[in-house]
Amino acid sequence: MGEPGGSPLFLPPPSAGRNAIFPAMSAPTADSRFAEIESHRTYLVRYALAQLRDAQLAEEAVQEALLAALESIGSFDGRSSLRTWLTSILRFKVIDLQRRAARERTHTSIDEDTAAAEDDSWVDDFFDETGHWRSPPQSWNDPESALEQRRFWEAFEKCLAGLPAAAGRVFFRREVMGDDTSTICAAEKITDSNCWVILHRARVALRTCLDQTWFGRAASDGR
Amino acid sequence: MAADDDVDCRKASRLLSLACERPLGSPELRALRRHLDACLMCRNFEKQLDFMRKAARAYGRGK
Repeated sequence: MGEPGGSPLFLPPPSAGRNAIFPAMSAPTADSRFAEIESHRTYLVRYALAQLRDAQLAEEAVQEALLAALESIGSFDGRSSLRTWLTSILRFKVIDLQRRAARERTHTSIDEDTAAAEDDSWVDDFFDETGHWRSPPQSWNDPESALEQRRFWEAFEKCLAGLPAAAGRVFFRREVMGDDTSTICAAEKITDSNCWVILHRARVALRTCLDQTWFGRAASDGR
Repeated sequence: MAADDDVDCRKASRLLSLACERPLGSPELRALRRHLDACLMCRNFEKQLDFMRKAARAYGRGK
């Protein structure tokens, strides 16, 4: 992602109006700011995608957030990291788009969403009729060391993306963003107990996925 | 012989997840503890919940 002008980003190339955007900065500083902002793009798209579950909407949110960031770069005081600052801007854009999407969503899909959230039959995928684990949790060997491995994060991300839509959204807000359940329930327009069911599902599914794609494999090939 | 508060793995996993959201009541907690004492798989799940929370927070910080 080195050369800002060559990236797929909507940002204007450095030659086109850079000084208008960063009037107070010398050219090299503006260039490095471009590159620095651009370097967070992948993370920001991931974040938006986890929230919005729609590639086009996620792209839209990130573009709007980056535009807003460029306009107000002067107010970035460096007290938080650039990524944190960009994410806080994106968060508002995502909420905007979520509201818009919720308004535009048909009644059918809201009903389907709710039905899927309340439906308890998913547990049958993970527990047999006597209530036992179908795939019993084995001990994970040195999970802490996984946190240092890039490929673990790829697996983690894939597992998150593989969660059912509502489960993925709620889990992301609860565990990745650290929001409390009542805030999430209100945003999702569901009851607390519904939220708990969804989180239970997300956790069991995520555990199973990590077991299959990372820890189980790690045990078998001695990694 | 199965008491009302008998907990199987399915229910134990639900209570363990619930405990991440709100404090469990003492009957729930007692029943869960009894199950965990006897069930290594659910103790593994309990540890995995901790780890997944830790991993998710790290992911959010941009790992």
